[in-house]
Amino acid sequence: MTALSRRELLAAGVLAVPCLAGAQTLIGRALASDPTKAAGTEAETAYDPKAHEWGFVVDTRNCIGCGLCVEACKDENHVPRDPELNRTWVERHTQLPDGTLLVEAPEAGGAGFPVDPVTLAPMAGPKGDSAFVPRLCMQCDNPPCVSICPVSATYKTPDGVVLVDQERCIGCGYCVVSCPYGARYIVPSGGDSPTGNAGVADKCTFCYHRITKGAQPACVQVCPTRARNFGDMNDPLSPVSILIRDEQTVTLRPEVGTKPRVRYIGLPSQEL
Amino acid sequence: MTITLAGRTVQVGPRSAVRTLRGEVRAMSWSLRLWLLALMGLMAVGAVGALLAIPAGDEVFGTTPTVEWGLLIAAYVLFVVTTSGLCLVSSLGTVFGIEAFAPVARRAVVMAALCLMAGFGIIALDLHWPLRLLFGVVLSPSPLSPMWWMGTVYGIYLVFLIIELVGMFGGWHRIARLGGSLALVTAIVAPSTLGAVFGVLVVRPAWHGPFMPAYLLATAVLSGAAMLALLYALVARFSLRGHGPASERALTAIGRLLAAAVGAGIFLTAWQMIVGLYGGEPGSSEAAQAQLTGPLALQWWVVRVIIGLLIPFVLLVVPRLRTRAGIGIAGALVLVGLVADRSGFVMAGQIAPATSASGVVSDPWAVYTPSLVEVSIVVGAAALVAFLYTLAERYLDLTEPVAEHPAGSVAGSEVAPARAPADARGVA
Repeated sequence: MTALSRRELLAAGVLAVPCLAGAQTLIGRALASDPTKAAGTEAETAYDPKAHEWGFVVDTRNCIGCGLCVEACKDENHVPRDPELNRTWVERHTQLPDGTLLVEAPEAGGAGFPVDPVTLAPMAGPKGDSAFVPRLCMQCDNPPCVSICPVSATYKTPDGVVLVDQERCIGCGYCVVSCPYGARYIVPSGGDSPTGNAGVADKCTFCYHRITKGAQPACVQVCPTRARNFGDMNDPLSPVSILIRDEQTVTLRPEVGTKPRVRYIGLPSQEL
Repeated sequence: MTITLAGRTVQVGPRSAVRTLRGEVRAMSWSLRLWLLALMGLMAVGAVGALLAIPAGDEVFGTTPTVEWGLLIAAYVLFVVTTSGLCLVSSLGTVFGIEAFAPVARRAVVMAALCLMAGFGIIALDLHWPLRLLFGVVLSPSPLSPMWWMGTVYGIYLVFLIIELVGMFGGWHRIARLGGSLALVTAIVAPSTLGAVFGVLVVRPAWHGPFMPAYLLATAVLSGAAMLALLYALVARFSLRGHGPASERALTAIGRLLAAAVGAGIFLTAWQMIVGLYGGEPGSSEAAQAQLTGPLALQWWVVRVIIGLLIPFVLLVVPRLRTRAGIGIAGALVLVGLVADRSGFVMAGQIAPATSASGVVSDPWAVYTPSLVEVSIVVGAAALVAFLYTLAERYLDLTEPVAEHPAGSVAGSEVAPARAPADARGVA
């Protein structure tokens, strides 16, 4: 009888401790976390997200495919080294003689590109148009990933950036599946991790920790050819405002209705 | 310490438990012992896989950012939709008063609860932070997300199923009826919310649209009828408790329903492919081509179409083949086909990589191979369902009380060592 109760007590204790601990941390987090403050620290209290509207313009005419942006992003944000897992990457789009479009991103474009396409045998005949196309999260104004998140871990800030609260994310992968741009991945354990969390969704934040302190995103700062341009669209003299005003810009996959904040100049004609 | 079970006083304690367990194993036939032992082996393999899958972020699955949803999502869909199907089919007897289906209620509800728990277990292992989901669904609800609705509805569904089970085996008929009616409503809503999880994704043309909720609801009937066909063929084969003219009639009725559901499945599958091929819409036509001639073709033609639909249809409509065994085999084959159906449709939505513009020639198909961990979890979950159901068949009274339900209560006694004496139960 006593042995039995001890056993029961032990079993109950073994079950109760992790349950209570989990409940406590989760409830604490749910009550304490204010989404707009998730990426911030005390130093940023002066930053007013409502006063900005961030925009990004990729000028593919300038991109030389050097891959510095990919490396800078990995270093700045502790993105896993796996070339399949990226916040930003560079693709080469080549129009083939038969009219199809070849898209390739060896090592996510982080190590530059060989002269000939890597995925095909050297081609006979002339190549068509080609362009390097840097890719990142489009920070959609109508982001599918935000509405479908079952626990509201992904949210849009007033200044137009889509962020992930990685303390709240359950790692279901629904946002990864819902993204038309392949901008998201699940952080694996045992390596670099942007916030030290594993098993959670991650993506480009426009380097939110930098832009809220007045700096440029790491990829923009490191770009040697001004292929990547970042700025406040509320400021008519910012580089993005000028490019949007003076050049013809397009967004990727307009047919899915996501209203991206990242715009492109000079994509191969076939893609327009 | 003692408890009273089925009118018998049972000693509960470590020593007496071992004694009773030994007695129970002795009382089993060799084939039953072998069956349970094999299932326990598979469960052990599944447990190893489950343990490997628990740490958040460990890359033990074959999934990639391109194919983020793999075998576990497919298995989850298979199990939870089967749950709905079992409730829908059993409601034909309990709610709609079709006499032939009356005997299936208890077996259907027990199997439904087991399948739902297996589904929940699989999805918990697929999620990296399942506990956060549990609290997140309540503390930060996000009603814009179909997945939130799905989680909520299936959670409520489990509660209703448990109420129905408790009422059923506790002899509280009104509670059982109430739980059954509520479970039926959620059984209809639940697979449609699951379909919506896939259907709302504009960027996955093979899933997008109102077809998915309807398809999952229709195939719920298919998988529920198939499961019951298999179970009732086994009841007849092994002359399990409650086997008699009523259960034979039920098997015939289930066979007819299954034939109709397979027919509907053939139509839906055919139109899904034909519509997919029209117009060459990126994503949609690629999904159809992948299944008809591409990397999913073997699985689609052989397992989903021939084994899962055509052979069962022949078995069910040709009078000479429509025997007890024929209906049971048809049920088993349909279930095998549904494994391919679920994994095929989860893959089809992701087979055309979304990471780049359309017309990509460099990577026409996304590649995904399930890891051993994923396979072992699914096999272990299926073995667990079979194991617990076998015990339920042996220790619970799964026959419908014909006139008056006996007073003996065996609520929640799946693990109880005491066996209710068969002769004291309401066996027809």
